[in-house]
Amino acid sequence: MKIDIHTHTRKCKSGDAQTREITAKQFCEAVLATDVGVIAITNHNVFDLVQFQQIQAGMGSVQVWPGVELDIVENGSRGHLLVIVSPAVVAKFSETVKSITDGQSPNTFTISIEEVLSGFDAMKPLYVAHYKQKQPSLPDAALAKLLAGTKNSNFVLKEVTNAISAGIYISHGHSSIYGSDIHDWAKYGECATELPDLRLSVDGFEHFCLLLNKDPATINTVLDRKTPEHLTLRPFGDGSVIEVRAYNDINVVFGPKGTGKSCILKAIARHYSENGIDASVYEPASDRLDEIYDIAGAQLNVNLNDHKVNYCQNEISALRKASEVDVTSLSKYKAYYQSDITNKNAKKLLLKDIEPDEDGGPKRDFGGYNEALKNTQHFLEFLTDNTSVKEVLSNEEHEQIYTLIVVLATRLSDRRWSSFSEWKEIQLLNSAIKLFRKEVERKTGKPAMPMTTGFRAYAKNRIAIERSASAIVRSVETVIPPLRDPIGSLGPEKGELELLTEIRFQDGNVTDSSLRPIVGAKKTTMKKFVNNIREIRAHVYSDDLFQCISNLNEIEDVESVKTVYELLLFKRCFALGGEQYAPSSGEASMVMLQKELGTDKDVYILDEPERSLGNEYINDVIVPLLKERARENKRVFISTHDANIAVRTLPYSSIYRCHGKSGYSTYVGNPFTNNLVNPKDATDKMDWKKVSMRTLEGGEEAFGERGNIYGSA
Amino acid sequence: MVALKAAVAEINEKQFIKIELEDSAVLIPMSDDKADDVKSAFNKLIVRIKKGEFQVKLEGPGDDLFSQVASEYIKQLNREIKEVHAEMQQHGLTA
Repeated sequence: MKIDIHTHTRKCKSGDAQTREITAKQFCEAVLATDVGVIAITNHNVFDLVQFQQIQAGMGSVQVWPGVELDIVENGSRGHLLVIVSPAVVAKFSETVKSITDGQSPNTFTISIEEVLSGFDAMKPLYVAHYKQKQPSLPDAALAKLLAGTKNSNFVLKEVTNAISAGIYISHGHSSIYGSDIHDWAKYGECATELPDLRLSVDGFEHFCLLLNKDPATINTVLDRKTPEHLTLRPFGDGSVIEVRAYNDINVVFGPKGTGKSCILKAIARHYSENGIDASVYEPASDRLDEIYDIAGAQLNVNLNDHKVNYCQNEISALRKASEVDVTSLSKYKAYYQSDITNKNAKKLLLKDIEPDEDGGPKRDFGGYNEALKNTQHFLEFLTDNTSVKEVLSNEEHEQIYTLIVVLATRLSDRRWSSFSEWKEIQLLNSAIKLFRKEVERKTGKPAMPMTTGFRAYAKNRIAIERSASAIVRSVETVIPPLRDPIGSLGPEKGELELLTEIRFQDGNVTDSSLRPIVGAKKTTMKKFVNNIREIRAHVYSDDLFQCISNLNEIEDVESVKTVYELLLFKRCFALGGEQYAPSSGEASMVMLQKELGTDKDVYILDEPERSLGNEYINDVIVPLLKERARENKRVFISTHDANIAVRTLPYSSIYRCHGKSGYSTYVGNPFTNNLVNPKDATDKMDWKKVSMRTLEGGEEAFGERGNIYGSA
Repeated sequence: MVALKAAVAEINEKQFIKIELEDSAVLIPMSDDKADDVKSAFNKLIVRIKKGEFQVKLEGPGDDLFSQVASEYIKQLNREIKEVHAEMQQHGLTA
């Protein structure tokens, strides 16, 4: 959730841009389209109560605070001061602004600090003074007068120009903040992304002010909205106990090297594992990237069905077993015509002289109707059972469709039966003819007329071989698109690192030696196999077809190719922009950490995740990921020496380990109270910010740039 | 339906069924049992079927033995050509 303490809805001054003018409706639309959850309306020397109320009514859960930006003149110097109050006193605030500015043009109106205090201070406002580079800045003397005169000096903030300035001033002890000070509402969406985040949830204006007071009770109440958990850890093997209050948010363990931070993390992992929660300590191991991502492809498995590729197990088996079909010798025809049947009874058996018929047609018809009927019946079942279909059809419509499909099923069933009957009739007739011819031949010793030339069987055998060979060739000619698995970002300049897995069939032409078989078949066997299949297909209606099939069966290790899966080759590598890329050890660390944080877990335990990583990467990629996990209420424990992580994430819980004259000590606290307290002695306190700045690498810079998070301002 | 001419042919004192394709001829030996030659002839017929269905028409058969054999053989062959064409069509193997 973001906060914007400085907005305008009116062009009040001659210098104001026209684009500052916005209606209540437009204001609501613009703000509701952003992550802004708290917004103050601070027009120049004007407060429009009606518009404020219209806006408040249209903003839903977004808090709208009333305010005004006043032109302060002190000792001849001019500066701007925002006065923001609780919505609870908006009526009084409106009256006060009206009476103070009564009769004066907002363009020329000025007011002194004394008058401000006299008019507004009783309403316990939040004062936000333009400071230094934020022009026109309130002169130091006027600011001092404000701080001295107000009853609530904690509620005086300094408005600076941006996040970096805010961070720098905060690190130097100035409570600072910044707002959009929007000039053009058309650009508010873009502008809102740069606004400060509220790390702790704020219930309202008064609650915000309590948090500014750094009241521990208030802060703890907010922290406890997450789920606090009391961990009793024994990390060091000497029986010593560490009591830790952990949250389902970010928890940081920090301190100098050699103070047992890793042992604490291991004890935390043990604690959760013993409670049945998957938890292990993540440690960077950049040298294992190839192994983790299985570059060798040991676990690589491709489902060819996903690519609509036939595995061709039956086809390969059929081809390897294929044999020639004999044809009918023409001498049998000659023998028939040369013989003279004299047996009287044989002459009476006319059935033997009937011409056989082909049963292929009705058999194919039967197959077609049978398949169609089965599918129709499945559809009928689907139509009857499917609740979604019933939802979108009225009873009458459902009945109509059902009836039509039943008619179709009945017709198909009739056709199926008639074709089946015809097929079997022909088969019966042919069998009878064959039987009679055989019997006459046996009884008379005279040869019977052959039933077939053998052409049908011969041709069908060749057709089957062609179909098998074609199916295999079709499969191996399928282009399988490369698999691109995102690994992680290498930063905005380099982009996304991918795991690129190129998969292709040995189609007889592949010579790239970097492609390796997915399974154990030899590359030469694969290549010869495919080339032989192509040869078979080319010679399927040639006299030497079965020589080609013999050649296939003679290939060394040909039995290792049972399906086309054994003809798959692959190459797996890391890639950037589609080109092979070897990530450095630092980059390997980056992506491994992203993988860890990208895995859905309840508990993340990271031991010095910053190792080998640059600050920019930590800030731009890792810190946002950690915050995201925290927003998802995951428990994140981080041992770190890096201020970018410890400071920028503003951990709900900080565990500080140190070693002094009295031995090792543990302090716990958080950046919001800015305290680290020794649990064994509540009076033994340290300043969270100072300790962080002293202990953590890059501490000062991190504080300096942290300003876009409202926390320990 | 395309009809391809066929005849009983005598070549080097051997009898053949000679089927005239558009660009060549197919010889089916009748005098000797030469299964390989018959298969070779069948291969050519299958390739021809791929281009389209046809029937073989025996021209001028006589009453001699080879004419009777050729006549019966071609009758059966025509039936089987029709069936093979239908099978090829079903599998999309025809032109």
